[in-house]
Amino acid sequence: MWGKGLVTGLKVTWGHFFGKKETVYYPEEKLPMTERFRGGHLMLDVEKCIGCKVCAMNCPNAALKLTVEMDENKKRHMTSYVHDIGRCMYCDLCIEACNFKALKWDQNYESATYFKEDLIYDAVEEAKNRRDGNE
Amino acid sequence: MHNGILYLAGQSLKELMLPIIGSELIVNLIMTLICIGILFMLVAVSALVFTLGERKVCAWIQVRIGPNRVGPWGLLQSTADMLKLLTKEDIIPHGVDRWMWVLSPILIFIPAAMVYALYPFDDGVIFADVNIGLFLLIAISSQSVLPFLMGGYASNSKYAMLGGMRTVAQMLSYEVPMVIALMGIVMITGSLKMSAIVEAQSNIWFIFLQPIAFLIFMVTCLVESNRPPFNMVEGESEIIAGPFTEYTGMRWALFFLAEFANLLSIGILTATLFLGGWQGPDFLPGQLWFWIKAFLMVLIYQWIGWTFPRTRMDTILSFGWKVLLPLALVNLLLTGFGIYIFKWLL
Repeated sequence: MWGKGLVTGLKVTWGHFFGKKETVYYPEEKLPMTERFRGGHLMLDVEKCIGCKVCAMNCPNAALKLTVEMDENKKRHMTSYVHDIGRCMYCDLCIEACNFKALKWDQNYESATYFKEDLIYDAVEEAKNRRDGNE
Repeated sequence: MHNGILYLAGQSLKELMLPIIGSELIVNLIMTLICIGILFMLVAVSALVFTLGERKVCAWIQVRIGPNRVGPWGLLQSTADMLKLLTKEDIIPHGVDRWMWVLSPILIFIPAAMVYALYPFDDGVIFADVNIGLFLLIAISSQSVLPFLMGGYASNSKYAMLGGMRTVAQMLSYEVPMVIALMGIVMITGSLKMSAIVEAQSNIWFIFLQPIAFLIFMVTCLVESNRPPFNMVEGESEIIAGPFTEYTGMRWALFFLAEFANLLSIGILTATLFLGGWQGPDFLPGQLWFWIKAFLMVLIYQWIGWTFPRTRMDTILSFGWKVLLPLALVNLLLTGFGIYIFKWLL
């Protein structure tokens, strides 16, 4: 019948009018990011890391500046793991290169800062802070 | 004797003023000015309410939330919009036909606000209850075609010109089925007086006696007030904003004001002509019934507007001339027969 489609359309919008809304009140509510989302800070697992620096070697933009020291047992430790987000293009090569799965993204997408110096951070320090916070 | 709340309030105000001022002429003059003030307030407030209302309804239908940041639930959104428009720079583009361009937004507001004088808001509450009410109403409201064309022509822009031409095409063509559809009501009532039309619906609303006319009237109302899905005049995706393209700030806000005045107008008109106006069961005052019906109709118009996509210009015109006009004529014929049979039965 002519005009049936019009009524169907009105029914659909009527349902939408009273139905649940899709919009999320952003700063108050946040959607969880997907598992493979690349972004935010690098989370370094200091226990797993052997200080091989393969991640830094794989970095095409030289965004990683690492310093490693050796202890009395000839075991290598990461003393600083400086990641410059300003240089990073989130290619994921550092994480893929890590043989010990010591690296992953923290999936934070709010990485904008007012000063470019704030883009540089030390992942080892953050790992320490995380550990202190957990204890 | 009228017994609407507003009518009684007006009468008592008059009686209060009479001993203080003394002259009945001056009291009547003051009352007239007060009424005009109230009508203008109504138009301005409707613009404020509908700016937010329109955006909220549109958002809810599109599964969004709508404005929610300025004030609680975004209630101050329209105030913020108004402030923004008022403080904006007034730009007059090069190459416009200056006088026509400046006059257009002012002239468009006049018919939009003037028709409010003819609406019966309550029992006895009508600013100008003239004998040719409905006729005058249609005559005034059809004047809004010209300012659209003026603005479109004077803007010296192809989009504005196209929009202006479209206005003339669609608004003039749809006036014909609208008037013929309303003729059925006039035939039943036997009067063009607005208050008489409302009183004639005390037993049965005209929506039940004239369902075809009601449908035709709804469609023509949407076209006449340039509401979606018939907003060919603006047609954002095609001609930017039609005749409003070159306007900024307060001048643009006047177009906006007229648009929302028209939205309330079509709601009030439908409620008055087909839904019995201020008449309703006694547990609510007539004034309240009037506004419930008018706002319900506005909501329905918005609902229709945000459901259907914009039609094409040629389909609008062919629909108006080839479908609505014959339908309106058939309705007129049926009404005539109906009245004849009704009289013969009595």
